[in-house]
Amino acid sequence: MIAAERKPFEQIKLVTDQFENILVVGCNTCVAVCLTGGEKEAEQLAAELRLQRRNDGIGGSVETVTVLRQCENEFVDSIAADVEGKDLVLSMACSIGPQLIAERHPAVRVAPAMNTNMLAVVQKHHVWSEYCVACGDCGIFNTGGICPIARCAKQLLNGPCGGSQGGHCEISAEVPCVWQLIYEKLATFGLEGNLSRIGGPKNWSKSNSGGPRTMKKEGFEP
Amino acid sequence: MEHELADSINRSSARPITGDAQLRAPCEVACPIHTRAQRYIQLVAEGKYDQALAVVRETNPLPQSIGRICAHPCEESCRRGRVDEPIAICNLKRVASDGAKATGLGYDPPAVEFTSGRKVAIIGSGPSGLAAAHDLALMGVQPVIFEKQPAAGGFLRTGILNYRLPKNILDEDIDYIRGMGVEIRTATSVGDDISFDELASEYDAVLIAVGLSESRSLPIPGVDLPQVLLAVPFLEDVNAGRDIPQLGKEIIVIGGGNVAIDVARSAKRISGGKVTMVCLEADHEMPAHDWEIADARTEGIEMVCSQGPNAIVGDGKVEGLQVKKCQSVFDVNGRFAPTFCETELSVVPGDTVIITIGQMSNLSFLTKTGPDVNERGILIFDRDLCTTSRRGVFASGEVVTGPGAAVNALASGKRAAIAVARYLGVDANFGHEPVAIGEVPADVREQIKQAPRRKMPARGTDERLTDFGEVETGLGEVDGRCEASRCLLCGSGARYSQLKCVSCLTCVRVCPYGAPWADKDGFGGIDPDKCQACGICFTQCPVKAIDLTVMSETDIEQEIVVAMATESPDMEFGCWYSQSRVAPEAAFVALPCTSRLSVRLLLNALEAGAEKVFVAVCSEDDDGRFVHGHRQTRAAVEEARKLLEEAGLDPEKIELKFVPEKKCMKEA
Repeated sequence: MIAAERKPFEQIKLVTDQFENILVVGCNTCVAVCLTGGEKEAEQLAAELRLQRRNDGIGGSVETVTVLRQCENEFVDSIAADVEGKDLVLSMACSIGPQLIAERHPAVRVAPAMNTNMLAVVQKHHVWSEYCVACGDCGIFNTGGICPIARCAKQLLNGPCGGSQGGHCEISAEVPCVWQLIYEKLATFGLEGNLSRIGGPKNWSKSNSGGPRTMKKEGFEP
Repeated sequence: MEHELADSINRSSARPITGDAQLRAPCEVACPIHTRAQRYIQLVAEGKYDQALAVVRETNPLPQSIGRICAHPCEESCRRGRVDEPIAICNLKRVASDGAKATGLGYDPPAVEFTSGRKVAIIGSGPSGLAAAHDLALMGVQPVIFEKQPAAGGFLRTGILNYRLPKNILDEDIDYIRGMGVEIRTATSVGDDISFDELASEYDAVLIAVGLSESRSLPIPGVDLPQVLLAVPFLEDVNAGRDIPQLGKEIIVIGGGNVAIDVARSAKRISGGKVTMVCLEADHEMPAHDWEIADARTEGIEMVCSQGPNAIVGDGKVEGLQVKKCQSVFDVNGRFAPTFCETELSVVPGDTVIITIGQMSNLSFLTKTGPDVNERGILIFDRDLCTTSRRGVFASGEVVTGPGAAVNALASGKRAAIAVARYLGVDANFGHEPVAIGEVPADVREQIKQAPRRKMPARGTDERLTDFGEVETGLGEVDGRCEASRCLLCGSGARYSQLKCVSCLTCVRVCPYGAPWADKDGFGGIDPDKCQACGICFTQCPVKAIDLTVMSETDIEQEIVVAMATESPDMEFGCWYSQSRVAPEAAFVALPCTSRLSVRLLLNALEAGAEKVFVAVCSEDDDGRFVHGHRQTRAAVEEARKLLEEAGLDPEKIELKFVPEKKCMKEA
């Protein structure tokens, strides 16, 4: 899933304090599953904002609405009546949400309440880890099903580097060295020798570095 | 942990979903009148006795009486019974009515208008007739009860002794029904004072609810001796306070049922002598309830089991009962067909015999125009529609169901009331039989805290045998509320919406009881058999796909509004079961446990105007009613305080406090 987390309240407040009538829009897909921006969190943030604004003597209203996915035109269009009359829409989706809301509801100011962090795995309740950076050219078959782009601080294609110590990355003892993990995983198949071959260059043009990407499948248009 | 999680996810979709409003607590389903026991138990736990009594009265027109003598099939089905001991549901009904009486609330009968313009004659003022009259009155049909005895109540008055059901208690229940406008014509015998045909022509319908008012006798030698008595007239005499000169000092009661127990215990009180019960059944087969047998034994009554009466011996007066060994009571099909060893005879010495082997109805008032009786003299009766063979004539209670508990007679009378009302064109329906949730699975059972059942206090044996005063003295407030706190809230927990669920698996991960489940397609549910209604899944579900059946999020929001309408500027969220408060001056919102408080609800309390919000937990460790309940409460409070702080408000506006004196189930 896309993992995002709420911005510090201080940052949110800097924006919301400038507006009178605010709509907090939750998103019930990725950010709901990562427990930061679904309907419950949207209502919670709205309550927090109302308390803060009452305390600070700011008038106006803070309402909420939640859609299943803020990355779909149809869902985003469905909140037109809720957006009507609002001065600010505060999106609790990943960065896609506020962008699409701004696009579909051009008359209203839109702000993100979230920082979009990563494509993640739920390690356990309330713990997420980055597993993918959407590079557009997946090569994990050769690395034992483990992505060195997402999980190596240097995104090395031929690791490990000299900073690998006792199985940990030099950036933190909490972070495992992904190339150590790759080595151990390949060893379970007797393939650790593959690592002595230098891998070729990666096609980065398929990543975001190659410019904004689009994806389509032709022939099935309605 | 991960292994368990995988188990939860891989289960088949063909599992119970949850929160199905049709699934009810087993106590409610087992109760013949489907009283919402769980609800009144909860209100007793909160000390809201008048509201508890109102819940009892929804289905039970004789709450005080039934709260003393009910056979309580609810307790047999109570899921707590599989954990330790069942909830004392019947005793708690009495706590509700006793508690309400102490406050002077809950005893004013509702004003009833007989809007239908129809009148129904009810023959018999026992539990069935009274229940039918009560319910018909509420449906706008005017009932008139005809009772041949000088006072109303039927067998509750003539057959049950004061030491179990004091007459003033029965009077109060009946006065309530009278207060609704139900006329009871006592000392009016149908057949003698007014004919059945007159009734049938004067009233729009007739309900025969005459019960089983006559004792069966035995075809054995010696039954005509003057010291041989029959149970019903004996009990009538005892209840009326009449002398029974034939009663000696060594009494033999033939029979092993509940009435026999009452006869024996009464005889013991009057004679002060030796009382022996003789029954066909083996000790473990005796038809009387176990607790009745135990009470009788406590009072020194002896039981001679597996013996059948052969002859009453004595020359002009009873000298004993000759018995023969009973080899079996029932045949292979479970039918009553006793077999005896005719040569194995013995004599139980005694100077009085009371025959208590069963009862029959007296239908001598019926005329040739019907309704019809069968070859055994039993009314021909449609069990579903409560009709007899004569149009407009209905029947209910033991006259058609045979002997049973008073609550079964109530159920029969209530069904007949609906049948009669429908016949008279009044809008009424029989309703659906509720379906119970299943047993508590073994793994969940182990996680439920044990709490012993509170024992009903009773007068000492020596003292109680000296009079007919009530033996059981009532649980009282503290024990009553403690007992109520043992209720497992069956079927009142998480309610799940598949439509809203996004299969995030949060509930699967956080539930301490393993109730939520999901399959690989994201289809899921919450197993109501496992759910303990702690509310942890509800507080954490990110998309609000989970709510609680009882005390839902909306209910809590409304309670917050109600609480803030009081004069107190502060609010306390506490537990139903705690008999003490952390902020006695604050407006109180009571929950099954504060574990079901979400962060948003805590903020909402401040939004609603609370200056300060106190959140009560009952101990410093994680040892509350629910597994991890306190942990959840603490986490919610900490998170809410953090949000207040970052929003520039004083975090001390929300404070976690420990209840000063925990008096609920934990302190048995």
